[in-house]
Amino acid sequence: MVAGLQQLIRSRHLIAVLTARDLKARYRGSVLGFFWSLANPLLLLGVYTFVFTVIWPRPGDTGAYPLFLFAGILPWTFFAGAVMESTTSISSNAGLVKKVLFPAEALPLVVVASHLVHFALALPILLLAVAVAALMGKVTVTWFILLAPVYMLVQTAFVAGIALAVSSASVLFRDLRDLVSNILQLGFFLTPILYPVGGEIVPEWLRGPLRLNPMTPFVVAYQSIFVFGTLPSLLDTILMILYATLALLAGFFVFDRLRDTLAEVL
Amino acid sequence: MSRQFAISVRNASKSYRLYGRGSQFQTLKSALLKREIRPSAEGSVDALREVTFDVNRGEAFGLIGRNGSGKSTLLKLISGIIRPTEGEVLVDGRISALIELGAGFHPEITGRENIFINGIMMGLTRREIEERFDRIVEFAGIGPFLDQPVKTYSSGMYVRLGFAVAVHVDPDILLIDEVLAVGDEEFSQKCVAKIQEMKYRGVTLLVVTHQLDLVRTLCDRALWLEKGEMAALGDPVRVVDAYLQEVAGVRARVEEAEEDEEDESGDSEEPAEEERWGSGELVLTRVALTDHQGRELVALGAGTPVAVEMDVDVREPQNDFVFGVGIFRSDGTNIYGTNTDIEGFLSRRIDGPSRVRFVIPSLDLIGGNYRVDAAVHTRNGRAFDYRRGAIRFVVGSRTHDTGVYRPAHQWEFSGAIVINPMDDIHRNVPSPIAETMQDLDAEAMRRAGEKKKKPKK
Repeated sequence: MVAGLQQLIRSRHLIAVLTARDLKARYRGSVLGFFWSLANPLLLLGVYTFVFTVIWPRPGDTGAYPLFLFAGILPWTFFAGAVMESTTSISSNAGLVKKVLFPAEALPLVVVASHLVHFALALPILLLAVAVAALMGKVTVTWFILLAPVYMLVQTAFVAGIALAVSSASVLFRDLRDLVSNILQLGFFLTPILYPVGGEIVPEWLRGPLRLNPMTPFVVAYQSIFVFGTLPSLLDTILMILYATLALLAGFFVFDRLRDTLAEVL
Repeated sequence: MSRQFAISVRNASKSYRLYGRGSQFQTLKSALLKREIRPSAEGSVDALREVTFDVNRGEAFGLIGRNGSGKSTLLKLISGIIRPTEGEVLVDGRISALIELGAGFHPEITGRENIFINGIMMGLTRREIEERFDRIVEFAGIGPFLDQPVKTYSSGMYVRLGFAVAVHVDPDILLIDEVLAVGDEEFSQKCVAKIQEMKYRGVTLLVVTHQLDLVRTLCDRALWLEKGEMAALGDPVRVVDAYLQEVAGVRARVEEAEEDEEDESGDSEEPAEEERWGSGELVLTRVALTDHQGRELVALGAGTPVAVEMDVDVREPQNDFVFGVGIFRSDGTNIYGTNTDIEGFLSRRIDGPSRVRFVIPSLDLIGGNYRVDAAVHTRNGRAFDYRRGAIRFVVGSRTHDTGVYRPAHQWEFSGAIVINPMDDIHRNVPSPIAETMQDLDAEAMRRAGEKKKKPKK
């Protein structure tokens, strides 16, 4: 992994440049450009608020539910989007891997970086929503909110590890793409995004197993600082770091083993 | 520490596995567990078998062979894209690969941005790209399109830009895979000129191409791969010819050099013996340098009218034949080369003994040792009879001018200048060189006379 990180540092310019390229290319030719990155979460927030306060108010809800939902969905989208796109990151750039001497690990990492940028661009909207909710007296804002960049960093390491493993393995094993897509769909409901992990909704016996889902501590951490104004529990903090480390180790391990065969199999 | 070679391929083999249905999961598992993928039940294909050669620093090395003979695999091994199954490939220096031009371009963003991204992919820093930026743009000739998305480029512009970035990386080693065939004639020539310039600057070149003429003219050595194995390695003209023979399905019938062909210039820097090969349907029985009266020459003064005479014997009548002549300095520099095809002669038929004369009204060379190659071959280059070093001759000179070519010239002076021609007296005193010249001329006459007396076999 140390060698992998060194390689990563060597290709940081490449990753930065390719990420910028992807983002530019994505919005080139569209009139609103980067505004679309803001518009999508804004729209999402609006819809949630409308649905869960006007159409179907949750019993016993203080009015913070849309915010809760939003705080959980953003990190999930970062994770799921990056992992899903990384399954095709290498095969859709086969030309680079086969024809140019090119560090292939840059490809999934570029995907992760560009999804991270989108996540970061949605944060101002989340902060705005938090501010509005705070003014309406629905949530309390604490300094813990400043921990968000730290959690994002840890989560990025986690996502990068998964993306490395999935991107290289799916070149050899095409079925992985469908497998990943289904797991992610299922995972959305197995992660406490729609429901709080701590409330009465989740049965006691399920709370432990739910923490085995590596995305749980991350989602819980964002919900804690943005919505509840608390720190995540020590257990969740340890789990986050553990999952991120394991994911990175596994990612580099798998990628290293498969690296030499990528150019042949593509 | 710098080594002698730029590329060293040692006993390298490469086999590709064949993937069948259902074997992929097995493959993934074993790949993760054993770090290498063992050939599965479906077996494997040997793309390269025990290939060994070195490419020296600054050498231009050609790689030829049929499609599927392993050329591209070898190039990928050298570039580090794939690794050999057995053996090793050592590379010393920065590599730039012209394998697929513009492979890293993104169609949606501008040429300017793509130059930067492509350069960074090839290992340049942003600063290095900025330094080279103007040269790249100028070479690619994309001018007004620089700030347009690459998707609006014509395929020619796309390739030009790709080539321009790749050659401006300033590599120590340049790998070229069949990319010179793309683009229009003008750009193709520009590419070849650029590659020649790089060769001159000491860049090591490895060229994979089906343009055999390019291998012959550009490369110092060539390797012919056949079904992943080395079929021939060495002099490019010879290797290309052996390859063409094989492609034509003709066994090369290389004849022994004629034994009465002795080398006249003892201080020649290359092998003095004539080399000769070809399939033998047409045979050059006699190749000689003659003066305007048809006398054979081995030594001459600058500006002498001469002719290269070739007597042809026909074993099988042909209608596709080209006569070629090349003049080389003793260090191997090609002074001039041409053939009847280049100059627009269309061969119709040759049925019996014939004579071909290549007449030079004034051979304007400076003093030195020279050789002449003469050949008769088909239009696509397959040799009937190729005689390298068929003639060796010496040009004597009274002046010590330098270079390879002495254009007809004179000096003119006007204005406030005093400069006099040397005294006639001085000029008439025979210099040592002039004496040598006369001796050589006499020697040439004598030998030419002797040869004529020799009974022909």
